[in-house]
Amino acid sequence: MKTSNTSRGYSLWQDAARRLLRNRPAVFSGIFLLLMVAACFALPLLPCIPNPNTTDLDAIARGCSWQHLLGTDHLGRDMLARVLYGGRISLIVGFAATNVSLLLGLIYGMISGYAGGRVDAWMMRAVDVLFALPFIVLVIVFSLSIEEVCRDLTSWVVQHTGWSRDSVAPLLGLVPLFLAIGALGWLTLARIVRTQTLALREQEYVLAARSLGLGHCSILLRHIAPNLLGPVIVYTTLAVPGVMLTESTLSFIGLGVKAPNSSWGTLIKEGADRMEIAPQLLLFPSLFFCLTLLALNFLGDGLRDALDPKSAKD
Amino acid sequence: MMRFLTKRVLQGIFVVFVLETITFFLVRALPGNPFLAERKLPDHVLAHLNSLYGLDAGAWEQYVRYWKAILLHGDFGPSLVREGVQVSEMIAQAFPVSLLLGSVAMLLSIAVGIPAGMLAAYHRNRLPDTLLMLGAVGGICIPSFVLSPLLGISLGMHIPGLSVAGWDDSLCIVLPAIALGAVNAAYVARLTRGGMVEALTSDFVRTARAKGAGPSRILWKHALRSGLLPAVAYLGPAFAALITGSFVVETCFQVPGMGMHFVNATTDRDYFLIQGLVLCYGVLIVLANLIVDILLAWLNPHIRSAE
Repeated sequence: MKTSNTSRGYSLWQDAARRLLRNRPAVFSGIFLLLMVAACFALPLLPCIPNPNTTDLDAIARGCSWQHLLGTDHLGRDMLARVLYGGRISLIVGFAATNVSLLLGLIYGMISGYAGGRVDAWMMRAVDVLFALPFIVLVIVFSLSIEEVCRDLTSWVVQHTGWSRDSVAPLLGLVPLFLAIGALGWLTLARIVRTQTLALREQEYVLAARSLGLGHCSILLRHIAPNLLGPVIVYTTLAVPGVMLTESTLSFIGLGVKAPNSSWGTLIKEGADRMEIAPQLLLFPSLFFCLTLLALNFLGDGLRDALDPKSAKD
Repeated sequence: MMRFLTKRVLQGIFVVFVLETITFFLVRALPGNPFLAERKLPDHVLAHLNSLYGLDAGAWEQYVRYWKAILLHGDFGPSLVREGVQVSEMIAQAFPVSLLLGSVAMLLSIAVGIPAGMLAAYHRNRLPDTLLMLGAVGGICIPSFVLSPLLGISLGMHIPGLSVAGWDDSLCIVLPAIALGAVNAAYVARLTRGGMVEALTSDFVRTARAKGAGPSRILWKHALRSGLLPAVAYLGPAFAALITGSFVVETCFQVPGMGMHFVNATTDRDYFLIQGLVLCYGVLIVLANLIVDILLAWLNPHIRSAE
């Protein structure tokens, strides 16, 4: 359609970006998150950050100083380094698990909504049943049962790539964790996607595509999937903090990230055990963790307001 | 109404049945067994133990036997890890503790969350709203495993009479209930605000205003009913989750509730205990959802007429 030349038209995404940029908490949160990711992934490469596992026996459970900006823990390890390395693990698990549930939820929801009718009813009933399962039990069961598979995977990778076991094992050790969290976190997304697909399926352009003889697969991929992007982006941003929370809870219980890795959850646990002697061990990891969650939530809310103006009316 | 209820109850029974079936086969598919010890048991001892608890039979036979024992005798089986203790005894001991703690936490989150949400909606986009919602996001982002030790260090150590750990006197419930209720209060506040804002901008409120109803009458009489819908829908499952206990809070304050059993039973492979706990949890979830449906129908005339 031709618009008049005097007023420039905005695409949906340009419009959303403008709305997002006007939302100050969301912009600050976005910048904060970028800084946090940069700090966790790039800062430890600098020589001024010590190895998180070297112990400084002259400074055990000290407060803040120039040598150790955030103090040291009960073994004399530098807290700043530990928090940054922990953040790395927490962020990796958070984003990886969210992507796993994104993939599962998207596929399941799209099939369910597009098929409709009886198939849809049964698929959604299955989601209802899974929703009633106690989440924590399932995550534990699932991560325990795929642990062995992942150990095999580690040996396979070591054999076939020639990388040393020490460099591969810590990262691959995280696989059962984020697979388990991701494989169980897709239920909400499946519901959201299904509702959207159900509505999109009735649109004229889908009807047109079908009458032109397009197959179901290409209709789903080319005509329905792009229109799901908005709600999916919003949900993903809001799901990451939930996933990170689950990971930390599991690590806090002692079932999540295992040594030599440590995440913010394990650091908080260690800090909570020693909070009477050295409260900074609890305070700093908690602060980093809570601020990151806060920023993710604000960014998610901002994105929702930007991409779904109807819900942002209030 | 009766037909609707019967249908929902039958559906609920089906859900619990499927849930229990999934759990039954899932825990048996786990690597390891309940009798793993520091020192490996000799094979003949292990075989004896397995036959003593009926674990040597085929999975289907065990499955049928398990349901028979529950339905005919109300027998949930023995704990495989704690010798001579029945699963039903363990649940009967832990459930009242979790029920009490969960109920107090629930009341707390309702008493804080709903007024906060109403206040925020009433002062929409003004200072009280911003502050309250900032607090709510904070409540969501501070996980219970951070909040619990912080509460212990800040309140528990300085206010005399508040105990930081254990379950013996009457005041010991205060801190765990706050730790457990805070997150829910934050969610309830956000949902109440959302629902109230929608109600306050709807046509029937405009009509009421045009009719000359005062602001407080509109808030309490007209908007509250439909404004509470999202919060009520959330509270049902949340309540079921609360009264089945939280591992983190129970560990932090050493409360002998159900949450500890959930995690320990799974890591110990205590098959019968896991099954008993999941059954208990499933029944509670189904019941909570049923009550929520009834409440929603009572609150919302649209749903009522559709049924």
